[in-house]
Amino acid sequence: MKNTKFNLFIKIWLLCTYAIIFIPILVIIIMSFNKTPFGMLPFKFTLEWYQLLFEGSNLFAATILSLKLSGAVAITSMIIGTLTAVGAQYVPKKVSNLLMSVAQLPIIIPWLVQAIALLLIFNLTGLGRSYIGMYFGNLIVVLPYCIMMVIARFNEADRTPEDAARMLGATYPLVFKDVIFPMLLPGIITGGLMSFMVSFNAFAMQYFLAPFGVRTLPMEIFTMIRVGYKPDMNALASIIMIITIAFVLLLNKLGYSASRLMKSK
Amino acid sequence: MTDNEKPISKGGTMILPSSLLFLCLSLIPLGMLIFFSFIDGNINMSGEIRGFTIENLTRMFSSFTFTKLMFKSVGIGILVTVICIVISYPTAWGIAKVVKSKYKNLLMMLIIVPFFTSQLLLIYAIMVIFQAKGVIMTLLGSLNLADSSTSILYSNLAVIIVLVYEYLPYMILSLYTSIEGIDDNLISASQSLGAGRWNTFKNIVFPMSIPGLLSGILLVLVPVTGSFVEPTLVGGPNGMMVGSLINSQFTVVLNMGYGAALSFVFLIILSIIMAVIKKSINSANKSIGGME
Repeated sequence: MKNTKFNLFIKIWLLCTYAIIFIPILVIIIMSFNKTPFGMLPFKFTLEWYQLLFEGSNLFAATILSLKLSGAVAITSMIIGTLTAVGAQYVPKKVSNLLMSVAQLPIIIPWLVQAIALLLIFNLTGLGRSYIGMYFGNLIVVLPYCIMMVIARFNEADRTPEDAARMLGATYPLVFKDVIFPMLLPGIITGGLMSFMVSFNAFAMQYFLAPFGVRTLPMEIFTMIRVGYKPDMNALASIIMIITIAFVLLLNKLGYSASRLMKSK
Repeated sequence: MTDNEKPISKGGTMILPSSLLFLCLSLIPLGMLIFFSFIDGNINMSGEIRGFTIENLTRMFSSFTFTKLMFKSVGIGILVTVICIVISYPTAWGIAKVVKSKYKNLLMMLIIVPFFTSQLLLIYAIMVIFQAKGVIMTLLGSLNLADSSTSILYSNLAVIIVLVYEYLPYMILSLYTSIEGIDDNLISASQSLGAGRWNTFKNIVFPMSIPGLLSGILLVLVPVTGSFVEPTLVGGPNGMMVGSLINSQFTVVLNMGYGAALSFVFLIILSIIMAVIKKSINSANKSIGGME
């Protein structure tokens, strides 16, 4: 084949790109087992940072708070996202297009600006920095993902069973329960998972909207990097990254492709 | 769709909760930035406003800091976008057209791992490998290229490296989606008709990848221009960007009125950039449609 040389070049380029993406992640994981606290060379094996992490480090409390926050946000986002996707089937095309373009705002506009606009409004209404404000701030940036994931199911799925059920005389609630909901379920679950991940990492929203003195995990990491980090952070970072990679591989096993997941962006 | 296909006419009301949320938590707050631009000093937590002034706007346009940082931020945005394009194009091509199709999905999923990882952890990972006596500096030191006890962290270069690392996946994914859609027959037809590799690229591949390229630019340029975490953490004293200036009005200087004015003007500039890119995407899509 005449393209062999060119293809070899492309393959080496590919290898380098993956190296750029994964070497920093791999180094963190290796360094979490290193005895020198700040990830410097030379390497000596130890487990003490993992021990430190699990024996009362303040990273743990922050992790729990982040899990609770993202869980609440993801559940709300799944419910409202599903409602919106179903409702969008029954409004004129113009209205649903308008809604979709408005929904894209919170993901395109830098979160710094979005968060500041919210902080100002919350201060004006007297709500200020609060848990409820932080919850709403996270919700508004994850909701678009969830809506798009569920709408994608509507667009991909075969709609004939629905029509058949209706023609055979099933009432709408019954059609929804037995036909539409099962059809949407994969989209709802993926939308929920994505909401969870995005909310878990939405640093800017939490940084500006969290109550004073309360720190979520990304905020805790931010503070640690600024004031000089602690070695148990390597351990925590490794755990989170391994969970993330496992999550992505799981989605791949479930048949999700990157393009389908990220189309909403 | 005819009317009798609509099972319940009130089904449309289901979009109300999210419409309300987008209105109250996104559109209104962003629109209100104009109003907040005229506030004198801070709004405290109970919502009291000290007074109104136009000083925020006059100060912004008379001070060099904002203009300088604005230009610098857009410049860094463009630079990071260009670096991402250079790295991503061959990569996206490789995944779409060179590797075996059964590996495509897995390779693309691995590319988006950083998207699901916390931005802070990505920054932290880069800091760990680039720190003094870290992996990269030790390597450079042993090759006598640099002193291993120094580091490139806390500079504009470090900010650019971190931003490229963070936003690379968005560019690869956008390009991949476009390149993957190019019909292989078009490419081989062009080549069997005697067009060289460069001509095929120039006349077939590149024009057809423009929509993906543009959406990649939108996804990288806009957020990179608005970044504030990276300059704060790895930028050092000279690494400020417009985002860090806005951030400091809310967390350090506590002059929210001025911060709102900065955000408002910044938002306008970003909207112009976004509008231009979106318009180009539409016309690019149309011209490809015409070619087929």
